[in-house]
Amino acid sequence: MINNNGKNPEGEGRYIYCVVETDRKKIFKNFGVDGEDVYTIRYRDISAVVSRCLAKPYQSNDSELVKKWLIQHAQVVDYFFERYDATLPSAFDTVIKGGDQEAKSWLKGEYSALKGKMEKVRGKQEFGAQIFCDSKSLVDAVRKGSVEIHKMLNEIESKPRGLAYMYEQKLKEVMKKELENKMEKYARDFYEAIRSHVDDLKAEKIKKGEGDQQMLMNLSCLTPKDRVPELAGELDRINGLRNFSVKFTGPWPAYSFMA
Amino acid sequence: MVLDIDEKNLKDGVLGLVLALVEIIRDALRIQAVKRMDSGSLTEEETERLGEAFMDMDKAIEEIKKEQGISRSVQAIRDGLDDLVNDMLTDIADSPGNDSTPIPSIMEKKRPQQRLAA
Repeated sequence: MINNNGKNPEGEGRYIYCVVETDRKKIFKNFGVDGEDVYTIRYRDISAVVSRCLAKPYQSNDSELVKKWLIQHAQVVDYFFERYDATLPSAFDTVIKGGDQEAKSWLKGEYSALKGKMEKVRGKQEFGAQIFCDSKSLVDAVRKGSVEIHKMLNEIESKPRGLAYMYEQKLKEVMKKELENKMEKYARDFYEAIRSHVDDLKAEKIKKGEGDQQMLMNLSCLTPKDRVPELAGELDRINGLRNFSVKFTGPWPAYSFMA
Repeated sequence: MVLDIDEKNLKDGVLGLVLALVEIIRDALRIQAVKRMDSGSLTEEETERLGEAFMDMDKAIEEIKKEQGISRSVQAIRDGLDDLVNDMLTDIADSPGNDSTPIPSIMEKKRPQQRLAA
């Protein structure tokens, strides 16, 4: 619990969960990160959803504690996301130095930027779409489909050990290149296909997969609520393709589209 | 810490690192050898000998990894290095160019759920 008797305002901060479009004061006791009270600070027709904290991010080596904080953060943001259609979520551990006045000044200074962002996300939801491909099947397809590779395979059969090894290395390089080209084409096609069903699309970092399932793309999609079935339909289509599968998560508040 | 060195035994950890580096150097040498083979600057006999030398090297590396039980940690180290390089390349690609003072954005992009999953 933050114990601040008001004598040291420089040491305190306001932890920001999100900014929403309301002029109504809200207070939720013990609802926030580390059990802090959550409340709103208003400027004109928008409010920052905050809790009191020290003027520094929450940090700990205890991963269970950090997990608890992350969940508390998400719960507060989700509460507002479900009730306000232009919610601007903050990432975990976003802290403004100072007290309520400083938070209000920040709202005032960023007012038009924040209103602009609200228009961008109003009535929309963020979804995560990860597309995986079965690299083993694709490799097989590449091997069977290429005349050059067939030729090389036949040549290798007739060579002595050392030469066969070197030609095999060459073959591996050729296959790798062809596989990369194929995957790049798929990625570009999928990107274009998905793009036509969303308002905004971001390519995120790809995580290396275990085994045959390789992550081809990691996308964040921003789409209006009424177009979600359309997006889901397209991802379903891709999921149905041989050698590909889709992991679809959401809806989230537009965390990835706040910049 | 990105690199997941096998900590149960420091000797294994160091050995794992050494083997990972040996493999990386071998890979680089092999790429060069294939290039020279392609360019026609090697005779068939030279290529044959190179191939056999690489086969011997591969065999020795696999034997050491098996005997020392470090195959998995060597793979983990190589994967960790791959991730490091990928991150570096992504950061370079994403950097905003020649802006001297990047404007700190209070609203960042990562969902808390992504951090929970990590």
